[in-house]
Amino acid sequence: MQCPVCQTPMIAIELDEVETDYCPECQGIWLDAGELEILLEDADQTRRLLDSFRPAETTETARLCPICLKSMQKVYVEPSNKAVLIDRCLKSHGLWFDRGELMQVLQQGAFDEQGKVAKLLREMYPPEE
Amino acid sequence: MVPLIIAVVVVVLLVVMFVGIYNSLVRLRNQVDNAWSQIDVQLKRRHDLIPNLVETAKAYMTHERETFEKITEARSKALGAKSIAEASKAEGELTEALSKFMMVVENYPELKANQNFLALQEALTSTENKIAFARQSYNDQVLFYNNQLQMFPSNIIAGMFNFTKRDYFEIENEAERSVPQVKF
Amino acid sequence: MWEQIRVNKRNSVILLGLMGAVLCGLGFLLGFAFGGGPEAGWVGIFVAACIWVVMMMVSLFSGDQILLASSRAKPVTEEVHPQLFNVVEEMTIAANLPKMPAVYIINDPAPNAFATGRNPQHASVAVTAGLLARLNRDELQGVIAHEISHILHRDILYVTVAGVMLGAVVLLSQVFFRGMFYSAWGGRRYSSRSRENGGGAQVLIMILAIFAAILAPLFAQILYFSLSRKREYLADAGAVRLTRYPEGLAGALEKIAGTELSMESANKVTAPMYIANPFRGRKAVNLFSTHPPIEERIRILRAMSHGAGFKDYNQAFEQVTHRVGVIPPSAVGSEDSIGIRQGALPTAEEAAVKHPQHQIGDIIRKVNGFRFISCSCGLRLKLPPDYNGKTIRCPRCKRTLNI
Repeated sequence: MQCPVCQTPMIAIELDEVETDYCPECQGIWLDAGELEILLEDADQTRRLLDSFRPAETTETARLCPICLKSMQKVYVEPSNKAVLIDRCLKSHGLWFDRGELMQVLQQGAFDEQGKVAKLLREMYPPEE
Repeated sequence: MVPLIIAVVVVVLLVVMFVGIYNSLVRLRNQVDNAWSQIDVQLKRRHDLIPNLVETAKAYMTHERETFEKITEARSKALGAKSIAEASKAEGELTEALSKFMMVVENYPELKANQNFLALQEALTSTENKIAFARQSYNDQVLFYNNQLQMFPSNIIAGMFNFTKRDYFEIENEAERSVPQVKF
Repeated sequence: MWEQIRVNKRNSVILLGLMGAVLCGLGFLLGFAFGGGPEAGWVGIFVAACIWVVMMMVSLFSGDQILLASSRAKPVTEEVHPQLFNVVEEMTIAANLPKMPAVYIINDPAPNAFATGRNPQHASVAVTAGLLARLNRDELQGVIAHEISHILHRDILYVTVAGVMLGAVVLLSQVFFRGMFYSAWGGRRYSSRSRENGGGAQVLIMILAIFAAILAPLFAQILYFSLSRKREYLADAGAVRLTRYPEGLAGALEKIAGTELSMESANKVTAPMYIANPFRGRKAVNLFSTHPPIEERIRILRAMSHGAGFKDYNQAFEQVTHRVGVIPPSAVGSEDSIGIRQGALPTAEEAAVKHPQHQIGDIIRKVNGFRFISCSCGLRLKLPPDYNGKTIRCPRCKRTLNI
């Protein structure tokens, strides 16, 4: 699978049953359909998060879904007032998070606060010094 | 003329039957030998596996000197065995020492998380199974071969060509006889 | 045991003959119906017989490759799944097979397995990624023992050849329906001529041919399936005899029955090869069932409390189904009593319950040539075969790792 940003091969990383596709170049994360639910281990939370997506009017260039290679839709994730802009495949193949975006989404929405996902993400994307 | 033809046909049929039975007996005896050599192959494999296993485990299990000594001792005894009786005794000791070792492993969670050790553990489990299944298969083959030696008409041919009965592979311990399993 | 093999070989020949007869009969009727006379019927038989011989040859020499390819099975090396290889080797030794079968993995999340090949020297076993992810060692051993029993009993050649033949019959009757469709559409001119010279018999033959074209595939299927059902029981019995452990296979069948997934890579022709029906949601057991009900197979295995021999399986079978035992007395006769062994406790690796979805993903990745690296911080990296770099930075602890 190619990274939608760098067009280089993505790798998979796994720690304690948490697994995602990851681009070693730009450090973005791809979640296949259904993987979000496995990460959050909660169907209700996942639905809440997915329902909060709102299509965004933006000039950012559209990226291609790494699975179907069709243009992805830009959406705002709004679990709180500080929206994060991510990419969603219109054929629901999955979601793309640029560097650190997944962590922001989870933190702002108070999802998985002390969970292992958030812990791994904090280690992967330490605050800039 | 006719009686001659009949006689020839009967003789030909008998020869064909004779050859057929002789060949099937040889085939069966080969299968018994093959099954026996399989036991040897697997025992040898276990000997090769042990140094690696002990080396990997030693780093984690600092208080189990005695267990390792027993394994190493049983292994060298098995390697140096001169008679089959000696060898089977030593192999029995080795099996026992290894299953004790695997029980002790339970107390070392770090060791159990080591990928390298897990691979060795799987290899050891499999080798123990293979030894047991090789014995089982040998006994199955012997059963069939011995039955054939007693049955008519193959018993006549077996007598003529000195096909002799084979012994079963017996294990003293009855519980162990039904496939010993390494317990983890 | 050996008698059973002989019986199986004979049954296979009978079945193949019957399949050939069905094919020739179909050929005759089709020729008659289209050619408009008995002479054309003979031509039809000739064509059908040629197809039969060609299909036979093809299935004998590359039937296994065709079936493996159509099931999207990939050959794998020992590094991909050492445990699977070990278990196959163990069962090869237990069955005293001359050669270890080739091992294939099917990238399908539904748990299932099958064996194919010409004889024990040329045999293959294939298991799905879903099966590997769900079963423990003893259960996997039970499934592999079942497949090795199919190889030992010479079921594989029968299933392989019969499967390819069934495909031929289905194809021929489809050709017939296509042909009928086109001749009804564009062939008015020819039919008017035949109507002139005694149309009644022609119509009758046509109707007969239509019936035959509908019934022949069904008939062939019934033949194929009815024999394959009995073989499943026999392979179960053989598996227990090899492993000395009925609970292994019973547990595996229970897990297979417990998943709702249908196999994407199976079809009508390959279905009888599998250890359990690859299609879900059809409960009724009838003439078309390729497999005995899985719950019944589990109950029989669990009823084997006294021993692991064929005799014990037969007893359990009669006790559970109230039918006459499936194993011929000749196979049961000379057997000593065979004990059941103890099950192994779960190993460390199995004790850590893994998400089957992740494990399936890992197996599929390994089959597809991914490299797995463990960083000393605990993170596991899985690199695709087209990843070209020599080193990679761990995303967690930022250490540089060599590939």
